[in-house]
Amino acid sequence: MDKTTLSALGEILGDRLRTDFETRTAYSFDALRKKFLPDAVGFPGDAAEVQRIVQLANRLRFPVVPRGAGTGFSGGSLPVHGGLVLSTERMDRILAIDTENLYAVVEPGVLTGALKEEVRKIGLFYPPDPASLKFSTIGGNIAECAGGMCAVKYGVTRDYVLALEAVLGTGELVRTGVVTMKGVAGYDLTRMLVGSEGTLGIITKATLKLIPLPESVTTLLALFPSNRHSADAVNAIVAARVTPAAMELMDRTAIDTVRETIPVDLPEGTRSALLIEVDGQELAVAREADRIAEACRSRGALEVRRASDAKGRDGLWTLRRSISPALRRVGAVKMNEDIVVPRSRLADMFDFLADLAARKRVTNVNFGHAGDGNVHVNFMVSGTDPDETRRAEEAVEEVFRAAVEMGGTITGEHGVGIIKAPFLEMEVGPMGISVMKRLKNCFDPNGILNPGKIFPEEAATAH
Amino acid sequence: MKDDELKEMAGLCAKCGTCRAVCTLYPHRRTENSAARGKVVILESALSGEDKDTAAVQEAMADCLLCGRCERECPNLVLYEELVMKARAALADEVGVPAWKSILFGKVMPRDGRMRALRKAGAAAARLLLKKVPSGSGLHYRFPAEFLTGGRTIPQLPAKGFIESLGKGEAASGDVLLFVGCVFDHFYPEVGRAAYETVKASGREVAVFREAACCGLPALVSGDRESALENIGANLRRLREAAPETIVFPCGSCLLMFKRNIPSLFKEGHPLHEDAAFVAERATDYASFILDSGVVDRLPEPPPAERPGEIGYHDSCHLTGTLGKGPEARRVLERAVGDAFAEMKGADLCCGYGGTFNIRDYPTSSKIGENKVKVAASGGTKVIAAGCSGCVLQMRDMAARVEPSMRVVHIAELVRRALARAK
Ligand SMILES: Cc1cc2nc3c(=O)[nH]c(=O)nc-3n(C[C@H](O)[C@H](O)[C@H](O)COP(=O)(O)OP(=O)(O)OC[C@H]3O[C@@H](n4cnc5c(N)ncnc54)[C@H](O)[C@@H]3O)c2cc1C
Ligand code: SF4
Ligand code: SF4
Repeated sequence: MDKTTLSALGEILGDRLRTDFETRTAYSFDALRKKFLPDAVGFPGDAAEVQRIVQLANRLRFPVVPRGAGTGFSGGSLPVHGGLVLSTERMDRILAIDTENLYAVVEPGVLTGALKEEVRKIGLFYPPDPASLKFSTIGGNIAECAGGMCAVKYGVTRDYVLALEAVLGTGELVRTGVVTMKGVAGYDLTRMLVGSEGTLGIITKATLKLIPLPESVTTLLALFPSNRHSADAVNAIVAARVTPAAMELMDRTAIDTVRETIPVDLPEGTRSALLIEVDGQELAVAREADRIAEACRSRGALEVRRASDAKGRDGLWTLRRSISPALRRVGAVKMNEDIVVPRSRLADMFDFLADLAARKRVTNVNFGHAGDGNVHVNFMVSGTDPDETRRAEEAVEEVFRAAVEMGGTITGEHGVGIIKAPFLEMEVGPMGISVMKRLKNCFDPNGILNPGKIFPEEAATAH
Repeated sequence: MKDDELKEMAGLCAKCGTCRAVCTLYPHRRTENSAARGKVVILESALSGEDKDTAAVQEAMADCLLCGRCERECPNLVLYEELVMKARAALADEVGVPAWKSILFGKVMPRDGRMRALRKAGAAAARLLLKKVPSGSGLHYRFPAEFLTGGRTIPQLPAKGFIESLGKGEAASGDVLLFVGCVFDHFYPEVGRAAYETVKASGREVAVFREAACCGLPALVSGDRESALENIGANLRRLREAAPETIVFPCGSCLLMFKRNIPSLFKEGHPLHEDAAFVAERATDYASFILDSGVVDRLPEPPPAERPGEIGYHDSCHLTGTLGKGPEARRVLERAVGDAFAEMKGADLCCGYGGTFNIRDYPTSSKIGENKVKVAASGGTKVIAAGCSGCVLQMRDMAARVEPSMRVVHIAELVRRALARAK
């Protein structure tokens, strides 16, 4: 970026434009842990400023990369071609909560957890629950279409976005959607923007659907001798016509990893575990929990534990919650993929992974949202052995291929970003890519917004 | 800048961003730079040689309260506080201690012995440095704007420190040793006194550690490794010689130093490793001692409070947060003041002192501290009890600014009062 560009940006942002090396460094990464230095970092305070920035970018041709909290796993907020990182940190107000029509209007920089907490106080519920909810933003959640544990019952971010205000790549401000439950006027531009990873428009305001807060929750932990058994139990639970609010599967690798760091008391022979939650009205919850426990036992559960009070539930969650921290001890670098397969193919996927890890001689740890078929596949590598890294990379590619072949997807919630761009075509095909590129061209003809993402390109290398 | 140990420590960070949402400083800066993740990345950039502006990196590392909230929430067990302290030391080795910190060491937190000298010159120095201002509760002084950022109320240096006030031969020997700490010796001798008398109520022989040098924390967090090591070495030697069974710390920050920071400085193989372990093993916080030594059982049944719930307990970052000593203090308070004690609103909010951060950026330190006191007051608290010297110093200053009727005390003062009832 040259002086003229920086001073023009400075005119819009004043001291909310930073060009010092330390700030640029602090904004050069996200949770993918790759590093690309931006030329400058801007902190606009409202949609008008965002608009002026994008208009300027069209005139002077520099990349604008939206960034929420930088917790993405696919490199979405990395400025791979330099330019301006546009942080939404200062646009973090909850503008309105409508308790009659059940929706909230927020700025993009609001932390998801903060919104959930605010509406919970008045008996309402914003269900999307990525594990990063306490520290990721609504804008980032929408742009990645973040999901979470409760997706099996409540769906993902997409299902709660009613309307958006966004600045397109052209610098034009557009308002999409309606605040009502129904609405079919024209193309669904709202859904177009959801999951678009900051490549089509910068979301400046979001209207989100709220629902009544469930009155009670019960947690169950079912322990099984194998993944086959738990996958069977998942199907049995679904067949028993119960929809849990969460259904998390941990395989042997995950359980063993946790056991290496903290003592967990599990029955002899535990090789797989299901953590299940049901919520709703108290009586109904108790009945559903009974049915789930029954389904698990009938499919060979070694033991089923159950709790409804906060402390007991917290105890049951320990195993699941300890996986990520424990993983760090297994290998220095984690290749973390989030594939999805149809629920009925879960057991096949786990078998495939066990075989693959043995073939490629890499440490592999799996856990995930069994209720919706989303598996977090982790390959742990030391980072110091190039051959091991190569074997792991090959394994990742095989996993993607297998997921697509089983009728699933290469990414359930983390997005394509830079890391999955080379594999996009594997899933959507050349025609899919071609249509997407034409759409991109329509929203952002000059390629201003978040260049280098989603679509494969050669140039981008981390430094 | 090159340092393999730092590199390895920083390498544990997964850049997940958990820390930013809990950072005490973040809401005031609103940039990544202020939270742990940003600091780790800036440090890594310096370590790899990419960022060569050592002074700027030093500034970035200085902008932190070392409150440890980030570290407690970090899922990847990054030892953030240690990392920053070590980084500050490594940077100071390269470019020296920042100018504003030299002021601090020369004038406010002098090393062993110098505080006494300063107080002797006492009134005169104070007149030079401090401008008298009227205030509701006793005499307070304020630094003139030119000296630091201005607006601060600090206690008048009393004529005599606590240790100085001890009679010859008083508290000279015993298997329990009281480590009073600079602030409770020099600024608030009444706290030193209260701690001493209540610890003595255990019936055990109590010696006050008279030869104490500063615990070294202010120097360590400033990257002044040399002064820190000098003080630490002197303390460890003398403590080892005194060979007490128990060492009681009324100040949580001094305790943290001996319990955690010093042992991590002197790992296995270091000549001072054994001494450090010896002291760490015997070091205990004030409240735990009062509980374990049975002082608490000697307190008379507290009478029903006139104003129930007016006394709250402040969770100091170091004492409750890092060392996990919150429940003990509460149990002591429940016994000492009965239902006058109640959980305080915002008990775990940092007071904003942050050791030297208060000197570096007084306006921000004040905003954090004023908020702390206001939140407490909004929940009905009238008296804040704490167990750490920095917190007491800071919250008294903040109360004077925004809630003049709020009192801030050390829990020992309340225990002492309860004991007096027994007589
Ligand atoms: C520990 C951890 C756990 C996680 N768990 C989950 C999980 O369970 N489920 C899940 O789905 N994800 C999870 N994630 C990934 C990540 O938190 C999500 O992708 C999240 O939605 C990113 O939000 P963010 O605010 O950090 O956005 P960023 O990472 O800053 O940005 C993400 C993308 O959104 C774009 N963007 C950001 N703001 C805007 C805006 N206002 N307008 C347009 N585009 C924008 C960026 O350009 C980028 O492409 C996890 C991450 C971590 C570190
Ligand atoms: S919480 Fe820990 S691992 Fe995560 S970014 Fe902060 S310091 Fe790094
Ligand atoms: S120690 Fe406190 S102020 Fe410093 S980065 Fe951590 S949370 Fe923020």
